[in-house]
Amino acid sequence: MSETTFMGVERDKIDWKPTIDYKKCDYCMECVKFCPHKVFEVKENEEIKLIVKNPNNCVVFCRACSKTCGPDALSFPDKNETTQKIKEIRKEMEGNG
Amino acid sequence: MVENYAVLPCNGLDKCAGAISRELAIKLCESAKNEIICPVFYRVAEAKYNKIACERTLLVIDGCPTRCASKLAAEKKLKTSRKITITEEAKNRNIELANNLRLGENENKLIDMILAELSDAGGKNAQSSDKVQFPNEFEYITYQKDKFIFRLPKNAGFFFNENDCWAYVIGNRARIGVTDFVQKSLSDILYFFPPDIGAKIDQFGEAGSVESAKAVVELISPVSGKVVAINEALEQKPELINENPYESGWIAELELADFEEDKQLLIGCDKYFEIMKKKVDEFNV
Repeated sequence: MSETTFMGVERDKIDWKPTIDYKKCDYCMECVKFCPHKVFEVKENEEIKLIVKNPNNCVVFCRACSKTCGPDALSFPDKNETTQKIKEIRKEMEGNG
Repeated sequence: MVENYAVLPCNGLDKCAGAISRELAIKLCESAKNEIICPVFYRVAEAKYNKIACERTLLVIDGCPTRCASKLAAEKKLKTSRKITITEEAKNRNIELANNLRLGENENKLIDMILAELSDAGGKNAQSSDKVQFPNEFEYITYQKDKFIFRLPKNAGFFFNENDCWAYVIGNRARIGVTDFVQKSLSDILYFFPPDIGAKIDQFGEAGSVESAKAVVELISPVSGKVVAINEALEQKPELINENPYESGWIAELELADFEEDKQLLIGCDKYFEIMKKKVDEFNV
């Protein structure tokens, strides 16, 4: 269940993924090497060589790839907003259950 | 002023943060009895610096999160006593670094601030005297995969998040740390970066990080509150986290802000055990 839900909430209802700032990204691909969840994909022959391919694979609240990013090109959603959203969804689920 | 350090700086000459690392190292050596290890020359002339590195305590200065200086220290099996990352220091102080290889006003200001903080060692480590006695031993359930054994404490008072971190709660205090899954995924932990004493941390906020030659992992706090103590033993012996991340390898103590609220997004030992087992099976630890 852990790969499709987080705290009982369906993963695709939670907005948590890295956003790449292409003005800063130098395509060093450290984030790709680091992330074991295959969130990123390398596009060797295209102008934009790195994309967030599998946002729902990203572990909710994990920001570890940004620590490997020399040019500080990765950002994440606001943690408190995400927490509140998860709580709201859980409340709705309790109401429906 | 810090003295008798061997200073191993990043020498990233094509980045502003690298230029700051270099300047900070020079200033540390001009104003006190410290010595620089040149990362470039170290690669080809090991003997010159091995002696300095062994005789002195090692201060590593990384420019950016690529951590070239740290990786070099790990590669040479040096024991790092203190570590600074320039981009992190700038972020913590809300200083915007220019994209320029010559140092400007902000960059010099940051260097002076770091130098001042290094001189003021001890001040920020003052811990709260109002201590809660936490037990030192727990009972465990275990899961084995190949030769690896993953422990999980089953004592009442332990709570987990799905980010592989735990909180052990007594009254309005909690000790926090990482689980066996984290320490085994990282293998040998080389550095420990504690949160600041007095810092207010939200639930799921960063409460320090641990680093091995493989990666850096942040501790995603299961609870919200104010940091009242850190495990100082880890600064000299981060390997305690590998030995037992629940007992001698705990990371910080927090005065809880709203545990009843936090509890809504925490799970108990049984539920986390199932999640951990799945993660262990899916990953090549």
